[in-house]
Amino acid sequence: MDVTTAPHRIPAEMPQYGESNHIFELMQNMLEQLLIHQPEDPISFMIQHLHRNNDNVPKIVILGPPASGKTTIAMWLCKHLNSNLVSVENLVIREFPLLTTETRKHYQRTKTVPSTLLVRLIKERLAQEDCIRRGWILDGIPETREQALMIQTQGVIPRHVVVLSALDTVLIERNLGKRVDPQTGEIYHTTFDWPPESDIQNRLVVPAGISEMETARKLLEYHRNIVGIIPSYPKILKVISADQPCVDVFYQALTYVQTHHRSNAPFTPKVLLCGPTGSGKSLQAALLAQKYGLVNVCCGQLLKEAVADKTQFGELIRPFFEKEMAVPDSLVVKVLTERLDQQDSIQKGWVLHGFPRDLDQAHMLSSVGYDPNRVFFLNVPFDSIVERLTLRRIDPVTGERYHLLYKPPPTMEIQARLLQHPKDSEEQVKLKVDLFYRNSADLEQFYGQAVTLNGDQDPYTVFEYVESGIINPLPKKIP
Amino acid sequence: MEAAESRESQAREYLEKHRILELLNYLTSSLLFFRPEQPREYLITLLERMRIAKLTGVAFPFFMDHSNIVAMFEMMDPSKRGTISFVQYKEALQTLGLCPAGEVLQDDGRTVSLDNFRDEVNKRTQEIFSSF
Repeated sequence: MDVTTAPHRIPAEMPQYGESNHIFELMQNMLEQLLIHQPEDPISFMIQHLHRNNDNVPKIVILGPPASGKTTIAMWLCKHLNSNLVSVENLVIREFPLLTTETRKHYQRTKTVPSTLLVRLIKERLAQEDCIRRGWILDGIPETREQALMIQTQGVIPRHVVVLSALDTVLIERNLGKRVDPQTGEIYHTTFDWPPESDIQNRLVVPAGISEMETARKLLEYHRNIVGIIPSYPKILKVISADQPCVDVFYQALTYVQTHHRSNAPFTPKVLLCGPTGSGKSLQAALLAQKYGLVNVCCGQLLKEAVADKTQFGELIRPFFEKEMAVPDSLVVKVLTERLDQQDSIQKGWVLHGFPRDLDQAHMLSSVGYDPNRVFFLNVPFDSIVERLTLRRIDPVTGERYHLLYKPPPTMEIQARLLQHPKDSEEQVKLKVDLFYRNSADLEQFYGQAVTLNGDQDPYTVFEYVESGIINPLPKKIP
Repeated sequence: MEAAESRESQAREYLEKHRILELLNYLTSSLLFFRPEQPREYLITLLERMRIAKLTGVAFPFFMDHSNIVAMFEMMDPSKRGTISFVQYKEALQTLGLCPAGEVLQDDGRTVSLDNFRDEVNKRTQEIFSSF
């Protein structure tokens, strides 16, 4: 037997460590930087990159037509994320003494700068220490597709691009009410965003170039250019409607820039489904197992199989079953460990439901080393549970299972002979649901990163929520 | 888009010249094997050691030392004949990441002994490290 071609048994700690420390993303970022800069001495470059530890600083581009509120949003995001704002105005003002007289006159006349010069200024600005350490937010840059491509070849790649959009008529009207504070540079509006302090109110001036004709002209130019810029940033773009209150736009933008994108890291799902009886855990587990090839581990089922197969554990469990007592936790954990240790569940991932039901069981599960990497709590109101469970019937002749509401029997004859399981009576259901809710608060606290879902919808909708919870990276908690 | 293609080939050449992929392989394997609490600091330490080793000629921090190589050889040779077949030898080199996919090894019919195996592994590792 040739050992080198047998399937590799990788100890489970390795993928777990890799996932929790985001090793893949770390290495990917390092490789990206190496390829962009291609230093002669890669080792020193890598040491420097690791010291800087700036993989998660904001790198945002905000685009939008005039009067959409770009600068306001950009300034608010800067303050909130403690980052640096870079706009055409900023750049020119910083470099003013160094520009040639021609460029200066051109800028004062048209408020624009030639593209090559702009890209050079941007590259220098972004290479400065504070931008490297705290990230950057580009406001209204790139203006054209040409600029977008030039920036990309220089190695400046944003992680999130926000495009504000609104109807032209709304924008033209909104622009008429624009007022600027000459001291701070903040933008206010006569109707939507009037500053509360009277001294600021007195200082405000009307900026140049906000007449209808001007705005319409700028809008035409914007629409011409934006069509070419949007395809440059395919997967990281988000369009937010600017036709809503500033605060709403800001919160949408903030949530978006704080999400990680889906990464290519290898990921084996280890899903835990929690919820009261009747919430649909078994159904969701079956759907997941079918679609993704995960191993469906239902705790109750596992114990019954052990007893039926008369295994060593089965013999120990049988007396508890016969006396209708709960099986002790230590025994359950042993049976589970045996199942989860098998090669197919390590390789393909697993979906566990029916265990743990309280905090002690949860501690036991993590002490044997099986920590789930996605936890879902299915919430279903009590009346729905009652409706789902108490109307279950079984036909004693054919063995077919029916539900009086969701899958009624076809003929009256069959309906007459249907029987109900005593476990499905209302009192029994109520007991089990109460038992779950008594322990659920502890469980929710133990699994801090759990996702709570509304289970009171049709199964395929719930399945879509579960899928998106598994596939998307876990949300970062905002400090 | 010729410019894009030439930049891509330029990037590939850079990767091969400095053996970046082997280096990253080595770093990731160390991380997953030792599982330090602070991955960044650990990576920095490893890279510093390599840099010093390159400057002063001190032995590199090898991932597979002598006893590991012997253990691997013995796994492949359960009947203790003292040699392994050519196919096993090629597979082992690929598993260790010392044999890039494009390389074709000459099968000259002879079997590989422990000393040959060890020398070959050492030689290839040295080759990789010397280009950092």
